[in-house]
Amino acid sequence: MSAAHDDAQHEHTFDSVDAGASATYPMQCSALRKGGHVVIKNRPCKIVDMSTSKTGKHGHAKVHLVAIDIFTGKKLEDLCPSTHNMDVPNVKRTDYQFSYIDEDFLVLIDSNGEEKRDVKMPEGELAKRIEKLEEEGKDFFVGVQTAMGEEAAIDVKEASNKD
Amino acid sequence: MADNQIPSSVADAVLVKSIEMPEGSQKVEELDFNKFKGRPITVDDLLQGMKHMGFQASSMCEAVRIINEMRAYRDPTTSEKTTIFLGYTSNLISSGLRGTLRYLVQHKHVSAIVTTAGGIEEDFIKCLGDTYMSSFSAVGADLRSKGLNRIGNLVVPNSNYCAFEDWVVPILDKMLEEQEASRGTENEINWTPSKVIHRLGKEINDERSVYYWAWKNDIPVFCPALTDGSLGDMLYFHTFKASPKQLRIDIVEDIRKINTIAVRAKRAGMIILGGGIVKHHIANACLMRNGAESAVYINTAQEFDGSDAGARPDEAVSWGKIKVGADAVKVYMEATAAFPFIVANTFAKEDGL
Repeated sequence: MSAAHDDAQHEHTFDSVDAGASATYPMQCSALRKGGHVVIKNRPCKIVDMSTSKTGKHGHAKVHLVAIDIFTGKKLEDLCPSTHNMDVPNVKRTDYQFSYIDEDFLVLIDSNGEEKRDVKMPEGELAKRIEKLEEEGKDFFVGVQTAMGEEAAIDVKEASNKD
Repeated sequence: MADNQIPSSVADAVLVKSIEMPEGSQKVEELDFNKFKGRPITVDDLLQGMKHMGFQASSMCEAVRIINEMRAYRDPTTSEKTTIFLGYTSNLISSGLRGTLRYLVQHKHVSAIVTTAGGIEEDFIKCLGDTYMSSFSAVGADLRSKGLNRIGNLVVPNSNYCAFEDWVVPILDKMLEEQEASRGTENEINWTPSKVIHRLGKEINDERSVYYWAWKNDIPVFCPALTDGSLGDMLYFHTFKASPKQLRIDIVEDIRKINTIAVRAKRAGMIILGGGIVKHHIANACLMRNGAESAVYINTAQEFDGSDAGARPDEAVSWGKIKVGADAVKVYMEATAAFPFIVANTFAKEDGL
């Protein structure tokens, strides 16, 4: 199990985030599409490639999936009989107004004006963009992706001038 | 020169005087059905009537003689019997010859078996669905659209392979579980092709199966190319399902096992139907004992391409896989046509051997 996964397990305390919606829903393997989401090895993934082999000497028709973990970026593969069900994660995206950076966490404001302090400061390019916007004193929103009890900042969006 | 005289040069060339045939030379004999009038004809009648017919009739009857000598042998000190290696290709399990092969295993007439992946899985698949008669000329594109797979003039429906998948995958799951659970313990499970086949034979629990009887009678079945068929497809799919764990199947332990059987045999006999790996794997094991004492090959392959599949026993003599002076024959016949006759006159005879 990846370190990222371990972290995720310790951190997910966001039951309120998707209250009422289940983390995943089943879908027949043959109905999955490239660009859509799927759960592989208990990780929410985006499908980047899929191919099917018809019923034959190898048994039931099979769907071969190549997908990317939407949080870690790790490539995962799976092969499933096309008639079987696979889980599809409910992936939600919410934009929060940026407030400030509190050590490793972002402090965000939701649409009700409530403070949200549990989204981790991202790494890499996105972190640099957030730091730069903060320095410049810009008004901006952070896009947060939620799936299977895990959430992460995935992009930023500057507030339009009208606001 | 008179017109009615043959020119002397021609007479010398054409009318060579025969030597006397050596004493005891076998005459060509004929099968005369008048002899059996008024009673059922037996397989022994055919054997006696065909053995001096010539061509492949004589070769097939020679195979009967050689196999009966394999069966009759007892080691003078230990009374151990001939270790008989039986090899056959996948198509023969698909055919009705499977019942004959099962008979040999059921009654412990053979000591070890070598076959290919299809030779394993088609036996289990036949317990889950039927194989049907078709024709050699059935059109491939038509069959594909109907989900039928052709083996010569037989067809196997795709649904049989789906049934096989549904049967075998949970067993692979269990085998992986056992392998993982045994790690670091004193009895680590190291799967080999022969152990996998033994396990599947136990799981199928069906008296029509060759490998059910091989399991029951503890007759090892070797299949170094176990992955070359539907079983290999299943093992491939299973790696995705099981990842990052993986079922490990070791061929080294099996080569040691089959070679040890050959080395320890008091006398070794080979009965090989078809060619390829099933033929060479047995011959190669017998090399470890400086050659088999007797061999029966039944196949239609030719030798001119240099592949072992069509090689006559004498080529194996050159390698030391068959002993110099061994009793050996190649029957140039398709096995389903020849082997029931051979078994009827050997293993299936009520002779107490």
